[in-house]
Amino acid sequence: MLAPYVHRKNGVSYLYTTYVFDTLVSQDADGNPAPGLARSWQRAPDGLSYAIQLQSDAKWHDGKAVTAEDVAFTMRYMSEYPYVFGSVKSIERVEVEGPYDLRVYVKRAETGLVEGVFSAIPILPEHVYSRIEDPFRFASLEAAIGSGPYRLAAYDKAQGRYLLEAVTDHPLGRARFEQIRIVKMNPDAALQAMSAGEVDIISYLPVDRVLAAEAEGFKVEVAPSHHVMRLGFNHRGRFALRELRQAIAYVIDRKALLDTAFPGTAELAQTGYFQPGSRWWNEDDNPTYAHDPAKAHKFLINAGWAQTAAGRWQREGDDVSLRLITDGRSVKSARVITEQLEIFGFSIDLRVMELGALRNLVAEGAYDLTLFSSSTLGDPSNIGRRVFGRGWNSDRFPADPEMTGLIRAQTVASSHAERVEALDQFQRLYAENLPSYMLVNPLMATTFNEKLSAPFMPGGVAVGIPSALHKSIFLE
Amino acid sequence: MAADIPVEPGLRRVPRQGLVFCFLVAFCIVIWLTAQTGWLEHGSSRDVLVAPGMEHWLGTNEIGQDVLVGLILATPTTLALATVTAILAGALALSAASLVVLGGPLVAGVVLRTVDVLQVVPSMLLLLFVAALVNPGLIALVLLLTVTGWSDDVRIVVAVLRREVRRENILYARAMGAGWIYCWRWHLLAALRPLVGVVIVQNLRQAALKSAGLGFLGLTDPRLLTWGSMMQSAMDQLYTGAWIWLLLPPAFLLSLFLHWILKLSDPRVQSGLELEQRL
Repeated sequence: MLAPYVHRKNGVSYLYTTYVFDTLVSQDADGNPAPGLARSWQRAPDGLSYAIQLQSDAKWHDGKAVTAEDVAFTMRYMSEYPYVFGSVKSIERVEVEGPYDLRVYVKRAETGLVEGVFSAIPILPEHVYSRIEDPFRFASLEAAIGSGPYRLAAYDKAQGRYLLEAVTDHPLGRARFEQIRIVKMNPDAALQAMSAGEVDIISYLPVDRVLAAEAEGFKVEVAPSHHVMRLGFNHRGRFALRELRQAIAYVIDRKALLDTAFPGTAELAQTGYFQPGSRWWNEDDNPTYAHDPAKAHKFLINAGWAQTAAGRWQREGDDVSLRLITDGRSVKSARVITEQLEIFGFSIDLRVMELGALRNLVAEGAYDLTLFSSSTLGDPSNIGRRVFGRGWNSDRFPADPEMTGLIRAQTVASSHAERVEALDQFQRLYAENLPSYMLVNPLMATTFNEKLSAPFMPGGVAVGIPSALHKSIFLE
Repeated sequence: MAADIPVEPGLRRVPRQGLVFCFLVAFCIVIWLTAQTGWLEHGSSRDVLVAPGMEHWLGTNEIGQDVLVGLILATPTTLALATVTAILAGALALSAASLVVLGGPLVAGVVLRTVDVLQVVPSMLLLLFVAALVNPGLIALVLLLTVTGWSDDVRIVVAVLRREVRRENILYARAMGAGWIYCWRWHLLAALRPLVGVVIVQNLRQAALKSAGLGFLGLTDPRLLTWGSMMQSAMDQLYTGAWIWLLLPPAFLLSLFLHWILKLSDPRVQSGLELEQRL
């Protein structure tokens, strides 16, 4: 279902929902803020409010006009029913100043609100949602009445299929296609269907199939996903000490991992959180932790660990067994990393589990290391959650005053330069402290036939979804 | 009684099968010892999905491990896992069936209802139950395959047992004062042997195939190398052509093993038929 509260909680479902629901701020081809439902906006000099002028010809899919009241309602509604991909916590109140004019007051002068909350949250129709007391169970077609360039005409929950139909006279342009059909298929079937002319775009084609797609004459866009695979540590368990985390980083041979488990399908990740291609990436040399068993050995000995004559690591006389957990998607990498750690002398209890069980284990803290992938895109206002949050795919790093200070500083920075400076320092600390150890940045590919093509959006779509399929490519 | 029966050619083959069995066990022990000493190198390498050649006789898999070495190392695990599971499940089924037939109506009711429950409860629930009980690993896998496998055979064994307990030899023995345990040991078990053989073979086949698919539940270490798990990881390569050297060798070995097991059970079935005809 493509409605804000009932779409699946992953980036792709969010992306498809943006075709149906508009946000205040959209993006241009370079990923910079561009008019969405808001025609224009001005930040007050003190940074504590934003004046917003809406498009006067925007309509809901049932024909009613989109007004400032809808925006004010959405902010109130989302503070009561939080939306997973955008928080309105920073917003204090909204004052409606006219049918298409409003002023949004914020609690603190923050930068990044335009790229953050204004770009992330879908605006809801007040006349539909005001009577809904449990939006998380509201999944009829009515729930998908948005103001986006396409409306949801039909969907098949079991198959995960959606039929979208073009809306006439959308303020941002005319729809290029009458219909968009979104269908789940396995990559090989999708390639065959594309050859038969039944499919026009494959949104995520595994990179190892790129050659096959190019051989068929299709256009393929390849880009780093910034969905970095990383090694997480149990900071409340065995790896509370920074030196131990660094030791593990020196044990792991990332280059070998890349060549073995990702031949030609990933780049070596940068250790300081942001990756090349992100506008926040700092090119300074952060430690790369080149494979160095001797260094790792020294760190461990200094931390009071000992190695037996047979090469097994012990702590206080007991053999060290490290539990590494991951879900089914990273089995190959998990096997390679496990092998590297075992060669160094750890005994590894490797568990590949389904996601529910994995979450429980992480919540209980019943692990030492975890292998997971998580995005580094989107406005940096999400860093706090991704580094210090308690989710299974957060770093779960205990609050470090210096790092939290920097995150706060970049949030309330008064200028872009100030923000960049704070984030530069943050990256250095991230690489030193290793909340998690960035391993590889997998590539992703989108395949197009002759009807349409577009590059990956720099910085990702809206909340940082790595994709080439921003809704603007479906508009003339 | 059975002593009058001339030995059939089928029965004479058993010792040779026994020789093969002993050879297999010895072979597995040798492989296991070799694996402990690290002679057989099965590490990942940058030579990913290399086709068979001089360097790697059967090619390499998706993380550059040698397929031939993998096949050799997987042999003891595969065979031990399948055999232990099959024997355990067979023994459980036989005990349960005996309880049903000899234990009185209350016991029979309890056992048969348990079987019913196991037949209808999704094995996923059992999986989670087992995972909660024991630390996942090889033992959990054996437990799991046993728990999900034994109930299928109980009713078949019960049917045969019910017929057997009404035979004259049992009635005579009972009339002469023999207890049920004596009858079970000296009369029933002999009559059941062919059937139990077939049941164990069935379970062997099931265990060998089922064990391959359970790695993803976190119940076994994904490094647990069996022919089944090798086949499973080969499935990801169906589109590359590498499946030819990744899927076919373990599939061939598994087929060979199952074929041999069937051959092994053949004379047992045959001898069972002979017994039937003569009794």
